[in-house]
Amino acid sequence: MSDLNVGSSKGALRRGWSAAVGDYAIAGGWCLRGEALMVCDAEGSVYAFDGKSGATVWERRGVHEGGVLAVAIHPSGTAFATAGQDRRVLIWSAAEGQVSRAIDVGSGWVENVAWSPDGQWLAASCSRQVHAYGADGAEVWRSDDHPSTVSAIAWSSVGELATACYGRVTFFDASTGELRQKLEWKGSLVSMVLSSDGDIVACGSQDNSVHFWRRSTEQDSMMSGYPAKPSALAFDDTGTLLATGGGEAVTVWSFQGSGPEGTRPGVLELHVQPVTTLAFARRAMRLASGGRDGAVVVWSLQRDGEGGPIGDAVVAGVVAELYWRPDGRSLAALDARGGVTVWRIG
Amino acid sequence: MNTPNLDLEITPRKVPVTILTGFLGSGKTTLLNRILSEEHGKRIAVIENEYGEVGIDQALVIDADEEIFEMSNGCICCTVRGDLIRVLGNLMKRRDKFDYVLVETTGLADPGPVAQTFFMDDEIREEFSLDGIVTLVDAAHIEQQLGRSDESTEQIAFADVLVLNKTDLVNGEALDRLEARLRDMNRMAQVVRSERANVSVDTVLNLAAFDLDQVLERRPTFLESEYPFEWTGVYSLHIGRYELSLADGPDPAMSLVVVSDQGMDEAALREGAEWCVRRYAEPAELIRPGEEIPVGKHVNLRLDSPGRKSFFLEVDTQVRVGLYAQHTAEEFDLQLTNADGATIRQEVERTWVAQHEHDDEVGSISIERDGDVDPDRLNAWLGKLLSERGVDIFRMKGFISLAGESRRFVFQGVHMLFDGQPDQPWGDAPRRNHLVFIGRNLDEQSMWQGFEACLI
Repeated sequence: MSDLNVGSSKGALRRGWSAAVGDYAIAGGWCLRGEALMVCDAEGSVYAFDGKSGATVWERRGVHEGGVLAVAIHPSGTAFATAGQDRRVLIWSAAEGQVSRAIDVGSGWVENVAWSPDGQWLAASCSRQVHAYGADGAEVWRSDDHPSTVSAIAWSSVGELATACYGRVTFFDASTGELRQKLEWKGSLVSMVLSSDGDIVACGSQDNSVHFWRRSTEQDSMMSGYPAKPSALAFDDTGTLLATGGGEAVTVWSFQGSGPEGTRPGVLELHVQPVTTLAFARRAMRLASGGRDGAVVVWSLQRDGEGGPIGDAVVAGVVAELYWRPDGRSLAALDARGGVTVWRIG
Repeated sequence: MNTPNLDLEITPRKVPVTILTGFLGSGKTTLLNRILSEEHGKRIAVIENEYGEVGIDQALVIDADEEIFEMSNGCICCTVRGDLIRVLGNLMKRRDKFDYVLVETTGLADPGPVAQTFFMDDEIREEFSLDGIVTLVDAAHIEQQLGRSDESTEQIAFADVLVLNKTDLVNGEALDRLEARLRDMNRMAQVVRSERANVSVDTVLNLAAFDLDQVLERRPTFLESEYPFEWTGVYSLHIGRYELSLADGPDPAMSLVVVSDQGMDEAALREGAEWCVRRYAEPAELIRPGEEIPVGKHVNLRLDSPGRKSFFLEVDTQVRVGLYAQHTAEEFDLQLTNADGATIRQEVERTWVAQHEHDDEVGSISIERDGDVDPDRLNAWLGKLLSERGVDIFRMKGFISLAGESRRFVFQGVHMLFDGQPDQPWGDAPRRNHLVFIGRNLDEQSMWQGFEACLI
């Protein structure tokens, strides 16, 4: 990536706009059908930028004391939730920047937050428990203690929530909190993604491997040999391709046919430092990857997992998160130096 | 974006982390509060596994449950502390980074996974450096605790600094005995005494105990070497036959090496000691009363018959000999007489810090040897040692003189994790090796022999 300078871009990535927040840009997302980009930082501030121009629409400084840890955009795009070290979840209106509900979750950091696909439920994890709230923010149930702090949460379907922690993935009924399934494996699961049909659950593990289960057949597999911890994972929305970090290369496993067991993954090489985040565009075999080197690459993939770069760019800090605008025509990068960069996709 | 290339910025210094361990009631919280309340102008973050009454405004205190993550491969050195990875991973994102991190573990914490976290997790290793492990010891209760739990033993074995606290509750003699016991278990650590954890902050922070560049600068020899013998006597002898006699003593046998052409100054004694260490590593020849003692060989004198026992020494030229004996002359009333029955008095005698039987399962082994080491043999020996005994080796540190390498090779490790690099050039300094291992049930003799075989 030596031919790229900070701020430059080429190929499919066309310069859009850039902005800055006060500290490490932790998380955010597109709201209002792509008209606004929300960004939250390690200082606990929340910003809304105009999707086209990058102008600040509103900002709220230091609302989460100690910093924001997670953000979830409501499926409608009109609201979002932020979670922080201050043990709270805040529900915001995207257009006005008003907090409609503040929830005291528990006695530790709130590290994960996620809306159900239909927007009816909001899940948040705090220490060893996961809590489920109705759309109005009233708590419906909370889980018993997990064996360790919950490291990731995701909705496997409209009515079911999945959690990952040390040694296990657990599935809960959304409305009752009843435990539906436990998948156990001795290892520290640091990340989790699910295929869109909820059947395949993949987790990155502290011991530099990716473990996945097919829930319908209870068959599980481990992909090992990664040079680093695969904390970045992404499934395309057909459930065919699983992209994984865990080193400088992006490794793409294809679930078509009887794969990925016994098949060779696609190996996408361009980053010179480990990959930190991955995001698939909706309804497209297009993957964006970001790395510790500040590089952002967009790849075009085939159904067998092979592919090549169609555009790249470099931002000033470690890439924290990448967000495709819902229509797939813009890509936003948040970085460790508080940079927010948006490209139009050609 | 018109920002200039910012990546030319110098890599920031890693944030040092100090681990505070010790049983409940040993005074961890008192020490923590003491460190925090001192005027040092530093931004300190505290990660507490044992929720105490830390309440200091200038520090960020984060409560986290201790979470031990073992890996599916079952490897003990891959076991890390998930809570630290999570909390430190978030702390390092802030622009106004902390200058220092203190981790207060629970009384029952195993320090191994805590230390390993700073070597095994790439992201943590990149931003933080383990500065040192400080273990508080409740002088009044540690004896009972050591008998009952592996954790307290391990906390002592892992420590860089042992704070012997609550000394006002124990009398001086018992305290000395306790300190000697702790030093036996961990000869690498500094022992500091205190009443109410009132130690100077400098003795517990900025130890750079895991920093290879500094490990040796601060304590060029970490400890006095131990020898497999306790006593040396130097005698001037003429041609003739001499009788070495010993009375009943504490052991049924005693090892001995007789060195000829022995000098009398300290340098010559040390040189002789070095040479004898090699002999001691060789199997001993059994010598019965009435038999002759060969010069320059490791022998084992049989002393199990009652009364005074005599052995003989034949000298065919005028020479000064050194007797390097496993026990002091006093213990067996060792006497050397000539053919006329006249007692020969030694011209010089010296006692050595002897390796001795350790009462505790956990102890320190120090290997100090002159000369160069064959890198391949060293690799093979260490590799085998760590794979077979790594679970029982808590800490190791040292430097080695590798053949063909102009610089001193320094190393340190935790369980099977080994970290080494060349540091300063030897220059005119005599080339030597010093290795210290702290572990459980380590076989001193076989480790000495193993290392001996690596020497060229």
